[in-house]
Amino acid sequence: MVVLGASVISKSGKALVLRNYVEMTRIRIEGLLAAFPKLVGSGKQHTYVETENVRYVYQPMEALYLLLVTNKQSNILEDLETLRLISKIVPEYCPALDEESVSHKAFELIFAFDEIISYQGHREPVTLGQVKQFTDMDSHEEKLHNMIMQSKIAETKDIMKRKANEIDKTKIDKQKIEAGPRGYVPGGLTGISAQSNLGGGMGMGSGGFGETNNGSAFGSIASNYGASAPDEKARVAAAPPKGKGMKLGGSSTKNQLLESLKAEGELIVEEPAAYGTAAAAGGPKAGPPVPTDPISIMIEEKLSVVLRKDGGMENLEVQGTMALLVGKDEDAYIRVVLESGENRGFQFKTHPNIDKALHQKQNALGLKDASKPFPSGNQPLGILKWRMQSKNEEMVPLSINCWPSVTGNESQVNIEYESQAEFDLKNVLISIPLPALRDAPQVNQIDGEWRYDPRRSVLEWQIVLIDDTNRSGSLEFAVPATDPQSFFPIDVKFAADKTFCDVKIKQVIKASSGEAVKFGGKTQLVVDSYQVL
Amino acid sequence: MEKPCHLLVHFDKGTPALANEIKSDLEGSDVVRKQDAMKKAIMLLLNGEQLPTLFITIVRYVLPSEDHTVQKLLLLYLEIIDKTDAAGKVLPEMILICQNLRNNLQHPNEYLRGVTLRFLCRIQERELLEPLIPSIQANLEHRHSFVRKNAVLAVNAIYKLPHAEDFLQDAPELIERFLGNEQDASARRNAFLMLYHSSQERAVHFLLSNLDNVPNWPDIMQMVVLELIRKVCRTNPGEKGKYIKIILTLLGTTSTAVVYECAGTLVALSSAPTAIRAAANSYCQLLVSESDNNVKLIILDRLQELKSSHREVMVDMIMDVLRVLSSPNMDIRRKTLDIALDLITPRNIDEVVLTLKKEVVKTQNKELEKVGEYRQMLVQAIHNCAIKFPDVASSVVHVLMDFLGDSNTASALDVVFFVREIIETNPKLRESIVTRLLDTFSQIRSARVCACALWIIGEYCQSLPEVESGLSTIKTSLGDLPFFTEEEAPAENNESKPAPTSVTPVVSSKRPAVLADGTYATQSAAVELAAVAPTTTLAAAAAAAANLRALLLTGDFFLGSVIATTLTKLVLRLEDLHASKVAINKATAEALLYLVSILRLGESTALPHPIDDDSRDRITLAVRILSSPSDVMRLVWLKYCQDSFRKMIVEKQARETEESRAKQAVASAQPDDLIDFYHLKSRKGLSQVELEDEVQNDLKRATGEISKESEGIRKLNRVLQLTGFSDPVYAEAYVTVHQYDIVLDVTVVNRTSETLQNLCLELATMGDLKLVERPQNYTLGPEASKQIRANIKVSSTETGVIFGNIVYETTGSALERNVVVLNDIHIDIMDYISPATCQDVAFRNMWAEFEWENKVAVNTSITEVSQFLEHIVNSTNMKCLTPPSALDGDCGFLAANLYAKSVFGEDALVNVSVEKQPDGKLGGYIRIRSKTQGIALSLGDKITLKQKG
Repeated sequence: MVVLGASVISKSGKALVLRNYVEMTRIRIEGLLAAFPKLVGSGKQHTYVETENVRYVYQPMEALYLLLVTNKQSNILEDLETLRLISKIVPEYCPALDEESVSHKAFELIFAFDEIISYQGHREPVTLGQVKQFTDMDSHEEKLHNMIMQSKIAETKDIMKRKANEIDKTKIDKQKIEAGPRGYVPGGLTGISAQSNLGGGMGMGSGGFGETNNGSAFGSIASNYGASAPDEKARVAAAPPKGKGMKLGGSSTKNQLLESLKAEGELIVEEPAAYGTAAAAGGPKAGPPVPTDPISIMIEEKLSVVLRKDGGMENLEVQGTMALLVGKDEDAYIRVVLESGENRGFQFKTHPNIDKALHQKQNALGLKDASKPFPSGNQPLGILKWRMQSKNEEMVPLSINCWPSVTGNESQVNIEYESQAEFDLKNVLISIPLPALRDAPQVNQIDGEWRYDPRRSVLEWQIVLIDDTNRSGSLEFAVPATDPQSFFPIDVKFAADKTFCDVKIKQVIKASSGEAVKFGGKTQLVVDSYQVL
Repeated sequence: MEKPCHLLVHFDKGTPALANEIKSDLEGSDVVRKQDAMKKAIMLLLNGEQLPTLFITIVRYVLPSEDHTVQKLLLLYLEIIDKTDAAGKVLPEMILICQNLRNNLQHPNEYLRGVTLRFLCRIQERELLEPLIPSIQANLEHRHSFVRKNAVLAVNAIYKLPHAEDFLQDAPELIERFLGNEQDASARRNAFLMLYHSSQERAVHFLLSNLDNVPNWPDIMQMVVLELIRKVCRTNPGEKGKYIKIILTLLGTTSTAVVYECAGTLVALSSAPTAIRAAANSYCQLLVSESDNNVKLIILDRLQELKSSHREVMVDMIMDVLRVLSSPNMDIRRKTLDIALDLITPRNIDEVVLTLKKEVVKTQNKELEKVGEYRQMLVQAIHNCAIKFPDVASSVVHVLMDFLGDSNTASALDVVFFVREIIETNPKLRESIVTRLLDTFSQIRSARVCACALWIIGEYCQSLPEVESGLSTIKTSLGDLPFFTEEEAPAENNESKPAPTSVTPVVSSKRPAVLADGTYATQSAAVELAAVAPTTTLAAAAAAAANLRALLLTGDFFLGSVIATTLTKLVLRLEDLHASKVAINKATAEALLYLVSILRLGESTALPHPIDDDSRDRITLAVRILSSPSDVMRLVWLKYCQDSFRKMIVEKQARETEESRAKQAVASAQPDDLIDFYHLKSRKGLSQVELEDEVQNDLKRATGEISKESEGIRKLNRVLQLTGFSDPVYAEAYVTVHQYDIVLDVTVVNRTSETLQNLCLELATMGDLKLVERPQNYTLGPEASKQIRANIKVSSTETGVIFGNIVYETTGSALERNVVVLNDIHIDIMDYISPATCQDVAFRNMWAEFEWENKVAVNTSITEVSQFLEHIVNSTNMKCLTPPSALDGDCGFLAANLYAKSVFGEDALVNVSVEKQPDGKLGGYIRIRSKTQGIALSLGDKITLKQKG
């Protein structure tokens, strides 16, 4: 079963293109091709000719013959299959099917033939689409590679610029020190900007200090205002006047880099800042203090949900905390006034030191002993916790419906999500475990983005934002046939900046005077575990 | 060994492509122009153009290009350039491309990696490959299957190179591991193939350890499994049992290609009837299930092979094979019948004939094209059956005789020939056949069939009643006398029917033909009706009244002479059988009356042409014998006639048996043939002597590595002196003619004491010859000699001439160019044609069809006709189709057909007609016909040249 050569010949006997797959001298193959037109009889109902040594399998095509020269032992069924594919390929390249167009596209044809017949003349099990894909050579990885290269170049440039700046800066600093301390305000501003930047992610810390430590980059929220060293020099260093612009540039390069790394299959911890958990842990380590609001209050809900794959919900549990972070002792004599809704089904618990009566009556959180300050420092203090458990399916913010079905030798999987939550879900990531695959699964249809992590063999479906425009969406992909069970458990992650529990902070007042105090804060909902079993 | 050719692209000489232009485009940064320039460069190189400076340009400007198409074209370019110098060493500059290849192998684009790996398969220079090995191996683990599958191919190809163990020693191990983890079908196949080629034990191990999964493997993989099994079993026949089971499981797969391959493997491995039967069964299933004609035909070829090796098994399959007859394709039907006919045995003959009969009957109903041809084929098939098994003749002959009246002359003729032979070889059937023939005689429409049927009647009506009814049948067919009277002529003229066939004699009175509308049919109507299909009974009846009469009236006097002899024979026989005097006299008188009437008809002016002399002589002879019969004549007419027919039949049978005996007697091996011991074969020995297995051989033959002619004596005849001994350059050529090409090995000797520079052998051709390569320049030292090889392509059978000259410069005389003109080299047509056989019918068809005829008058010193024929046959390398028995005896004249086929598949037909003239010399013509002018002319020239004797 060997194809010696594939060729396109004009009806007049001119060999337009030939590709050899077995070593043969030129004179021999030319002789074979020259003999062919004489051997083709007219009026025959079959399309092969055998001579003493070779077999020609051909297909007439307007003014052309597509011709395979094979040895006589060759498997005719295979050869016809090959010929069939070639006959589909040729019109793709030369729709005119005449000598001129074939000559014009000769090399493209040779490239395509190479995809259909492997060296030594064996048939490749490819489809028309695959041939196109192979000859187009459109490589995702190459694009990535190029992107990485570019970003590396950009980064290097960036570092270069930064270094130059730093040198400039130190020069200026020296002058400033001589001139006297200043620069608190710019520092504060940067801090706010860092806060507002949280959703997007990371790296705001890095810009200012001329170092590329990732860990430090994520630490900004937790960084403690109070901890910011009173040392003027350090603060000035932390907040260089030009830092902001540079930081944005830096973070975007890093974003790209990360993206590409991820796409390449690197295991990267997903945006810890966005999910907050890692940030809290990373906080203390975030060495350089960033000035922030004197008081910040974080409301965070953790959601664990277990859904059943055949619909229905096993369990839904929400755990919320409100944490207070006070920078300086003098700002710690405060009371937090809440504004909460009905919150049926939620159980609230306050910190033992909190005045429970005050909470129940005035819906405010203050210490039992109003004269005492809240502890200050860079450690957030939980002041209120709540918990809710439900079996009510309507509570599920995002329901997942997964339908694997086996057809022939492939498994077709349809997944759809539907969001019933009243709020928008951000950074939704649905991870579907797949059986061990060499190739990425074939994704036929998708709302959003996907990527395949071959190491964990997980298909990750990413939807940046689910809002009213896309309350539901679907994904359809195919993999070689496997047990439907192997697509579970599906793991879901998302974040939102609303909570289940209707709790808001109305204001923060000074315990003594009732005067409103400026405060910062953040409300977020993160997924602790969200699985479809 | 010449370097292999990887690709060919048609190059239009009209497009001007200058090296400079290409160079500047390559140096530019425009990607599209770069691509075009690369394409042009490749085309120029393929056309034998030398672009020596291009390489450096390409290294400098194309190698760094980022464009994928440019890179792919670059790989093609690298494929076709010479990478070694004359001594076989890798050119130093080639190292430059190594780095580029390595970069490509580590390129992020998986496709570029893949095509580069694929390119490496075609590279044989170890120096180039060695530095790339690590990269290739790394690619085995690439994420993308496209890269992996090509990487495996590359490893396979590299490992096949001589001394590959030195730098890739662990390849089989590597690939085995790879195979264990691989998922992609194509990559797995390639890996398995690699193991199959380089480390059979590992392949076997892998196969055996995955035995349960084999049926689930992709089909391409299963094919390799089969290939492996074939190979293993050949070297190690003892283990066959293990593998047969695998094959049998694979027989059940859905992929037809695999099933086909399985059957082939089974046949190759085992000669056990069960295995063969299984294989034949699957072939038959494929025959039925596959709709593609190509597949059917090739499977029939396989069955034919099976038939010759395992006839006894195939005999059982005959009915399955016959099912293919339902295909409408004539080639398939013909092949099927061929196979089936060889398989008939006494046991299955009845069934076969039944099927054939059914098919024959079917041809009556179907209004399909080529029904006639098919029927003819079936009739011939039945004929053959009946010859082998005379018993069946009785069951078929009557069915067939229905077709005597067939409008298709060819098939009716076949039927009548069949009847003629059966009646002779099968005396038991004589009576019934004769009766039947007499019954159906009136339906016969064709003159040739009539003539033959009349002959049968004349010879085989043996008993008194038969003779009598024979006479009356003929009388009925001839109708009433006279055929034509002078008085009718004016009346006929009044009818204003100018067509000669519409001559209208009186209506047969014996059975007045009444047409459907109730009117009396005229004779002209009967003639026309004769063309109508005999199924319309009424018209048939009308026509049946006088088929012979109708034919006679169209002027067929040859038939008239046949009627005359038949009547004479019948009357003579009547005498022999001692019928009553009265009856004999009456019959004689009647017969004489008919004969005379025919003669008179022949003289009538109303017919298109008068009777020819031969027929008149013959009829007169019959008249004379009837009027004065002698014993000698009686013996001649009644006995010798039949005897000579008997002799012809015997001769024919003898010839057939002889042919089949000759076929069987073909020696399977010559006494001095090489014997191979597979077990003693080393893995990498590549010597020609070591014959590989059948498949491998087949492949080698196909690629032209083995050519099977070696005629020592003829070799020396081919050395041609091209220049004189006193010329400054002496040249002689040794011409080797292969199938499609001529190789000139020219030895050039410098006879001077100076160095000749830029010596060039320039050749030009005339006729259908084409030079393959451009000549190169050489420098020849004093008294030095050089071998130059020139390839010339031939595309048709024609005498060609190669002429040329040698051009050189001498150092002394300020670069003056000197020219030595060479002797012409004539390429002989005889090298291209070889004797062949074809059926008489086919020969006649071709003779009628071919448009080129060359007529050569005989002009020879040979005085005997048979000797002349022999001389022509020998000198033209053709086969005489006319059987020797027909050329027997010495009557002073001879006609014979000669046939040959050229290697290009063209037919050459020759007819020799010579007679010995009174002066003792031979006269006559030789006619050559062919489809192309070249053959007719060249062969004519050849004959003119050679016929002198």
